Amino acid sequence: MTSPKRLSQEHQRSLARRLKARDERALGELYDLVAPWILGLVVHILHDEDEAEEVVSDVFVQVWRRIDQHDAGRGPLVPWILSIARNRSLDALRRQRRWWRKSAHLEQAHAVEGGDIAPAAPHEATVPGWPLHREVHAALAALSEEQRRVVVLSYFEGLSHGEIARRLHQPLGTVKTRLRMAHQKLTEGLRHLKDWVE
Amino acid sequence: MTDWLGMLAAPRTPRPELKGRVLARALAPRRRWPLAAAAMITLAVGGGAWWAYHTIDTLTAERDGLATRVHALEDTVSTFIHGPATQLIQIPVSTGGRVGSVTIFADSVRHRWLVRCDGLAPNARDQAYQLWFITERGMATAAVMPMDEDKPMVMGLEMPGADQRVLGAAMTIEPRVGSASPSGPVVFHRLL
Repeated sequence: MTSPKRLSQEHQRSLARRLKARDERALGELYDLVAPWILGLVVHILHDEDEAEEVVSDVFVQVWRRIDQHDAGRGPLVPWILSIARNRSLDALRRQRRWWRKSAHLEQAHAVEGGDIAPAAPHEATVPGWPLHREVHAALAALSEEQRRVVVLSYFEGLSHGEIARRLHQPLGTVKTRLRMAHQKLTEGLRHLKDWVE
Repeated sequence: MTDWLGMLAAPRTPRPELKGRVLARALAPRRRWPLAAAAMITLAVGGGAWWAYHTIDTLTAERDGLATRVHALEDTVSTFIHGPATQLIQIPVSTGGRVGSVTIFADSVRHRWLVRCDGLAPNARDQAYQLWFITERGMATAAVMPMDEDKPMVMGLEMPGADQRVLGAAMTIEPRVGSASPSGPVVFHRLL
């Protein structure tokens, strides 16, 4: 049995330092660690495996070229990469929406609206980062159903407050309140997440 | 902290070949041609703007100069035609079996003539019309006018110096380069 891998904060800082020093092997190591999660996130947003691979490629290119913009003081490396992946995915999603606004493809994506965010199947537990995945799911599960829906629409579809209100047929103020409370709970629930542990 | 929400999605094992593609693309030397192209476009636009500014400036100056000259010419023509000191002389002529005319506006104040020739027959290839001032001292050349086309001709002429009083005008047909004194057929001879 292999010993568990840890991507501690120190390990993340080390990877960031090596990336900033243009250590190409560090990029390979980073890919091995986070690519499954990046691809999972991008596919979940785009529902298109081919386009998702293009976005994943863009994400790693951006990480390699813009690593100097990562401020370790503001947070670990992995959430920074996840935010890049989310932003890139939402950009691609908005392009999709412009072209496929009425397509069944998008309707299928809308249909999930949060119910699709289920923990990964047990066989995926071999992927590094699995405990983190469980922790984040636990934090989301601690939210009320209404809060969970607005968080998922905001995070995975990049909808504005107004768009969420229209989608859910709720007053704008209600949506803002639910999001604010959900973020407070999530911040509290995820505060202890500092290390990436297998 | 909510950036960790990205971990909500189930992980997906990438296709094995994706890693090679991603690393190759990320580590490829960064192409600088977009920057170079942008620099070229900037230079071209800047150069074009400078050229346009310079050209407009030059053309504006040229237009102003031409406008001044046109204005002066209009004044001159107006003075010739309407000036109280202008004498109008109309001379019917016959050349090559055609009837035409020579009109002279003689401005005695400015010592200039404005001459218009109508209906003159075109010259032979080696000949030209030559206009003469008839002065107290004899014939003085005024202008050599090769005429290859059948169309009116207008010219302004400086009169001889004050020591040569002009008594009249004459026109002859001379060799193409002109003559020092009249030697060819006379088209007209007129005392003022």
